[in-house]
Amino acid sequence: MMARKWFFRSTTVVLVLFLVRVNSAWAQAGTPLGEQTLGRAYWHVFTAYAILWLLVLGWIISIVRRLRRVEERLVQE
Amino acid sequence: MMAYLQFVWAIARKDLLVEFRTHERLTAMGAFTVLVGLLFSFAIDTALVRTQDIAAALIWMTIIFGGLLGMGRTFRMEEQDGALSGILQSPIPLDALYLGKVLANFILLSMMVALVFVVFTAFFRLQFSGSVVALLGVVSLGVLGFVTLTTLFSAMASRSTMGESLLPVLVFPLLIPVVRFGTQATSRLYAGRPIAEVSGDLRLLAVFAIVFTIACAWLFRFVIEE
Amino acid sequence: MLLLRWSDGGVQSGGDVNQKQMQLGVGVLGALGVVSVLMLHWMVFFWVPTESTMGVVQRIFYIHVPAWWIAFLGFGLVALCSAVYLWLGDERLDRAAVAGAEAGMIFTTVGLLTGPLWGRVAWGTWWEWEPRLTLALILWFIYLGYFLVRKSTVNPEQGKRFAAVVGIIGVLDIPLIHISVTWFRSLHPEAVILSADNPMNLEASMGATIGVGLLAFTLIFASLFLARYLVSGYEHELDLRDAALPVEQGAEA
Repeated sequence: MMARKWFFRSTTVVLVLFLVRVNSAWAQAGTPLGEQTLGRAYWHVFTAYAILWLLVLGWIISIVRRLRRVEERLVQE
Repeated sequence: MMAYLQFVWAIARKDLLVEFRTHERLTAMGAFTVLVGLLFSFAIDTALVRTQDIAAALIWMTIIFGGLLGMGRTFRMEEQDGALSGILQSPIPLDALYLGKVLANFILLSMMVALVFVVFTAFFRLQFSGSVVALLGVVSLGVLGFVTLTTLFSAMASRSTMGESLLPVLVFPLLIPVVRFGTQATSRLYAGRPIAEVSGDLRLLAVFAIVFTIACAWLFRFVIEE
Repeated sequence: MLLLRWSDGGVQSGGDVNQKQMQLGVGVLGALGVVSVLMLHWMVFFWVPTESTMGVVQRIFYIHVPAWWIAFLGFGLVALCSAVYLWLGDERLDRAAVAGAEAGMIFTTVGLLTGPLWGRVAWGTWWEWEPRLTLALILWFIYLGYFLVRKSTVNPEQGKRFAAVVGIIGVLDIPLIHISVTWFRSLHPEAVILSADNPMNLEASMGATIGVGLLAFTLIFASLFLARYLVSGYEHELDLRDAALPVEQGAEA
């Protein structure tokens, strides 16, 4: 339980730091068109990466749940 | 070889005889065709759209939806009466059974298609100035491709718990080449373009029909086996 | 957590060597995958320069292209395993086909959703009837059918055969569908990324990032594919045992 709490906290910190850094890195990214679309494009990139990892996470969760069910069935016998 | 063709014909003949006696599927498909034509005539504002331009699309959509209506019931009779196990135990090869079903469905659907053209020509006053032979080629190859796929999948659907509602989900994405090339060729012929412009479509429709006749005849055994 | 579960000998009491090796494979490939994914993110967000014409949004490519690679890999596996499954009837091939189909479905969805996110900025529209996008959407629906028929039979063996038939027909149809969709007007999707000799679009650093992306996705795919394959193997063994159980009890009584 403790380990899990620690894990969530540390990932949150890493994520926040990450967001801050990326934000500043992109604020400097500067071609004319890049600047023009920066505000919107920035969210597009984030959404794309979020979708990717959410879907992959969903697949992992589904596999783990199948595994759990297998374990439960083993215990029952 | 002759014996094989006799098997195919025996199956097709049995299906057609039953159909001509009960008129179940023919009535459904025929009524569907006329009623869809009626609905289209209300749905289309002829002051804005020339029906001549969208006729091919309407015709093919009607063929596909109406065809699916009839084809979905291909194996209904066998499933209900348990006649399938009888056929499976008979010496008829399974691909001959499949090809017989395809032949019967092809003839039934061709009758519906003929009605589609009559109804749409009458309702929308379509003028056809192109080559009738080319149109016949396009329609029969397209219908054959459609029938090969839907016959296989209707066997699958009739044996599944979802029944006929499974059929559109399975076949619509696979039928895109038929819709694409069939509609394109038909609309060009209606526009009076030369045959050279539709020869590409004709070839691709033929490829589709041949590939799926062979593939589905082979795969049919895996669908029908217990 | 997943790794721990795998490494403590798995669910199977004895577990033959082959299974143990595969469990190890899941762990090792997964660990390598996670490392390369972290590397990919570092490269994408801190290292690779912003592309000059498309701007920031071009960074979507570093996951979009690998996602398509995995989608096609997965569906290729489905077709191959389905055909051999129908031919030889080996259960393991069906399990591999399912694992491939799930991967293909997941990564096709990724490709379908990330493409428009890029297209909204690059083309100005969310959806365009552009050949690749259209083909992808059709592919997605074909494999939706694959999963639907699998679940729609009373006898699971029949569902497996149905699914294999759908997989084979789908693959046979793809070339024809491809011809149908390329007759739509194209918005130059090919030149943007797939021609490696296009100097304007693909600098060396970007090429390296894409390379790492492909590697990372392949590793993650391999690990999860194996895991999914193993789990359906366990499920199968338990099903067999459960099916055998009542008979044994009957014999004792």
